[in-house]
Amino acid sequence: ATEWNVSVWGKRRAFTEHIEKIAELVSEKTGGEFTMNVSYGGLSKNRENLDGISIGAFEMAQFCAGYHPDKNRVVTVLELPFLGVENLEQEVAVSKAVYAHPAAADEMAQWNAKLLMTSPMPQYNLVGTGDPRTTLEEFEGMRVRATGGLGKAFEAVGAVPTSVTSSEAYQAMESGVVDTVAFAQHAHLSFGTINQADWWTANLNPGTVNCPVVVNIDAYESLSDAEREALDSSVDEALDHYLANYGELLKRWDAVLEEKGVEKVMISPEVLTEFRATAAAPARDAWIADMEAQGLPGQELYDLVVSTLEEAKASGS
Amino acid sequence: MEPIEIGLWVSGGMLVMVVLGMRVAFAAGLAGFIGLCWLRWNGFDYDPARLWKAIEISVKIAGLTPHSKVSAQVLSLIPVFIMIGYLAYYAKLTTALFEACKRWVAWVPGGLAVSTVFATAGFAAVSGASVATAAVFARIAIPEMLKVGYNKKFAAGVVAAGGTLASLIPPSAILVIYAIIVEQDVGKLLLAGFVPGAFSAVVYGGLIIGIAMVWKNVGPPVTGFSWKQRFESLPPALPILAVVVIIIFFVYNPFGDAWGTPTEGGAVGAFIVFLMALYRGMRWGQLKEALLETAKLTVMIFTIIWGVLIYVRFLGFAELPDAFASWITSLEMSPLVILICILLAYAVLGMFMDAIGMLLLTLPVVYPAVMALNGGELVSAADSAFGMSGPMCAIWFGILVVKMAEFCLITPPIGLNCFVVAGVRDDLTVQDVFKGVAPFFFADAVTIALLVAFPGIVLWLPSLAG
Amino acid sequence: MAGSAAVLEDSSLLSKLDRMLLPIERFCALLSGLAIFALMFLAAYSVSSRKFFGAPMMGYVDYIEAAMPIIAIMGVSYVQRDGTHIRMDMLVSALKGRVLWFFELVSVLLILLLIVALTWGAWEHFDRSFDCARPLCSRDSSIDVGIPIWPSKLVVPVAFAVLALRLLLQAWGYGRALVLGLENPAAVPLNLTIEEQAMAEARALEENG
Ligand code: NA
Ligand code: NA
Repeated sequence: ATEWNVSVWGKRRAFTEHIEKIAELVSEKTGGEFTMNVSYGGLSKNRENLDGISIGAFEMAQFCAGYHPDKNRVVTVLELPFLGVENLEQEVAVSKAVYAHPAAADEMAQWNAKLLMTSPMPQYNLVGTGDPRTTLEEFEGMRVRATGGLGKAFEAVGAVPTSVTSSEAYQAMESGVVDTVAFAQHAHLSFGTINQADWWTANLNPGTVNCPVVVNIDAYESLSDAEREALDSSVDEALDHYLANYGELLKRWDAVLEEKGVEKVMISPEVLTEFRATAAAPARDAWIADMEAQGLPGQELYDLVVSTLEEAKASGS
Repeated sequence: MEPIEIGLWVSGGMLVMVVLGMRVAFAAGLAGFIGLCWLRWNGFDYDPARLWKAIEISVKIAGLTPHSKVSAQVLSLIPVFIMIGYLAYYAKLTTALFEACKRWVAWVPGGLAVSTVFATAGFAAVSGASVATAAVFARIAIPEMLKVGYNKKFAAGVVAAGGTLASLIPPSAILVIYAIIVEQDVGKLLLAGFVPGAFSAVVYGGLIIGIAMVWKNVGPPVTGFSWKQRFESLPPALPILAVVVIIIFFVYNPFGDAWGTPTEGGAVGAFIVFLMALYRGMRWGQLKEALLETAKLTVMIFTIIWGVLIYVRFLGFAELPDAFASWITSLEMSPLVILICILLAYAVLGMFMDAIGMLLLTLPVVYPAVMALNGGELVSAADSAFGMSGPMCAIWFGILVVKMAEFCLITPPIGLNCFVVAGVRDDLTVQDVFKGVAPFFFADAVTIALLVAFPGIVLWLPSLAG
Repeated sequence: MAGSAAVLEDSSLLSKLDRMLLPIERFCALLSGLAIFALMFLAAYSVSSRKFFGAPMMGYVDYIEAAMPIIAIMGVSYVQRDGTHIRMDMLVSALKGRVLWFFELVSVLLILLLIVALTWGAWEHFDRSFDCARPLCSRDSSIDVGIPIWPSKLVVPVAFAVLALRLLLQAWGYGRALVLGLENPAAVPLNLTIEEQAMAEARALEENG
């Protein structure tokens, strides 16, 4: 029998449903021969999950690219602001394409890790206290909890990204350490930031974070053929389950806003265009130049994201 | 072998090392490291060829823990609080505070003793450490009490008991450590300590007045301070008030948004005390000593933190806390009775162990069990065993165990505060101090019983903060 | 119980080495103290620039996290030197002579075993974040301002290496006391009774206050 330890953090939520599902599926398919033991914070701190995989402390783990960009330069392409991803299906498609790129696989192999699947996240919109901020001038000096490329985007319009951990976000908002928090909807619910909020941006859609699930290469290779087959074949099913589950949550979202008395703010198209112009192109160019200077195919990766996204949109997802 | 069995053997081994006098931090770290090796090799079916691999993995897991665990923004609160305490000596805040309390309240029966309790409570507001408080006031307050004819043992008991207030009244290093181990909101825990700490001080004060009224010769009142003298005594003690107000407002501002994080509040408070110390003549040599002492106490505390967290990492792999929690919840006893048993176990343990070491070693296993007893981390007040939500239960239990640890500072056989007071005063034996402190011992027992019976005393302020 | 204790000095080589290591340890502890002092200014600056000037400080959390290992670990050997790390001394305080030195020796050797393992593990942790083929040698960066994390990770094996040296000296000291049956050996923290400790603590306050 094979038992894998899986290191995630926080508590069970929409963000971890694909992992719970894949554990269930592999156990089913192997008749209980291959089981996974999902631990919420018991095995590692979230920012050390990749180290844990590298060491062989556990066999599977989740992490987010923006926590430590230098550990995972390649996948940070998926965190660039304003890529234009519209829904979770498209997010899955672009992630899959990047994960399959040799540069991504190579970089992860340095950590003895293999990219298994993404944890698709919707666009990170802001919740905030006080008056809604609807112009770029109002973003000036705004303290925003946003990591990675998103943080960079807000920085480009004069805001100050401040990365309190997700579990501290509520207190940070309450104490005024941050004015706004950029999260996906499930996280606004699960970390309670929605309870502090006066408003939520419905259409800012600045981008999202990319949080891969990885497995330890040695552990993966030492699986029996049947076990490996069970794992590989469960990825799509687990992601489908995740998407269905998240879809339910999004359906409830408007009702939640109403119940908590949170104003739904629409940003005008002019402001969005201005934001995009200020934040998107410079961030992208800087990222590509930085990657190319380090010998990574930055341009190629970015083009891959763009072309995959076009295909996904064309095929109707 | 089952991982849980390994967990039990290793935990037993750790206790043996602790009892045999190994430094607590390293005993916990070594137990965790050996446990990780054992667990991993057990997973390899004790294949000799893979022993080295098991050791290598465990070395790397254990080796990343110190850096990983101490690099957290919330932990920065601990050194800042400790530094406030050391700078307060140079700012001469203790004498100023005692003088102010004396001029304002010494006219009641047992007045100097009441002043001492209030001054220790006030000093508690700038100091995280109980033992230091007792040592300081043994020098300042006992001679004054003896001068006006106080009973010597009683005077010593007052100081030893007053010294225990420092860990509840914010800032408190031990509450911060509790919050970090159990991953709860530091700010709310600090707030929660305020009312029980003040409550304890009031209970002590009431007790003293009662004793002084019954036995007239124990502690005569001291009168004759003019209002002018009273108001003159306030400015030198003012930084203490400023620190208290600032820390409270940074955590919970009743008039609006809190001002910031507890660390920031502590830093601003430390800065004020630092300026005061400069004004009172502190120079580089003394500052250097203060920094070294701050560093020493800080490092001592952090070493236990990371040492214990290596052990906790091992427990996570061994799944022992889950097993203990399900055992506790399966017991056929009322949750309240189990909770009281746990508190009594702490009372016994506290007689022999340092409070911080005791909490850090036991909480990783005991805390999840208490939470499970209440109905889990996410339980609502309505569905819970103790009538409070998961986070509120975490706060309540934290205050109870810290009060328990404080209680142990004045209980025989090795109530540390009593030893410190006796150590400072050549004319007092430890037995004298234990005799003098006995009434407070009963007052504390009553306080703890009240905190258990009426959790609202603890939970009122943090529940206001949302 | 905190057991800060006296360390005797004599003319032996061991004592000489002890006195050579001490300034290094003191320096490390002072670094830790200065980092705490700097932390006070940083936090006070951050909150005032935010509250009064509406200009929050960029990367505040990153800098604090980078400084924490210096604050928390750098002085670990200084604290071991005079026996300040807490322990339960019920048993050892009742022991005397060779039996006592035996227990102390075993205890120090066990700690040494742990610290050697941790020095190795902490070095590996540093090494995983360090790659000089990259800009700033960084293979792990902070979350907001992207500063390299390896310098902060390097603090840990350095502090532990100093501690390992200290433990070697203490093992030598206790071993020597055990073999020679010494009463008051040099270069190791001598146990004080709880009264003596309290007295020492009060004296320290007297001097400082
Ligand atoms: Na205090
Ligand atoms: Na005691």
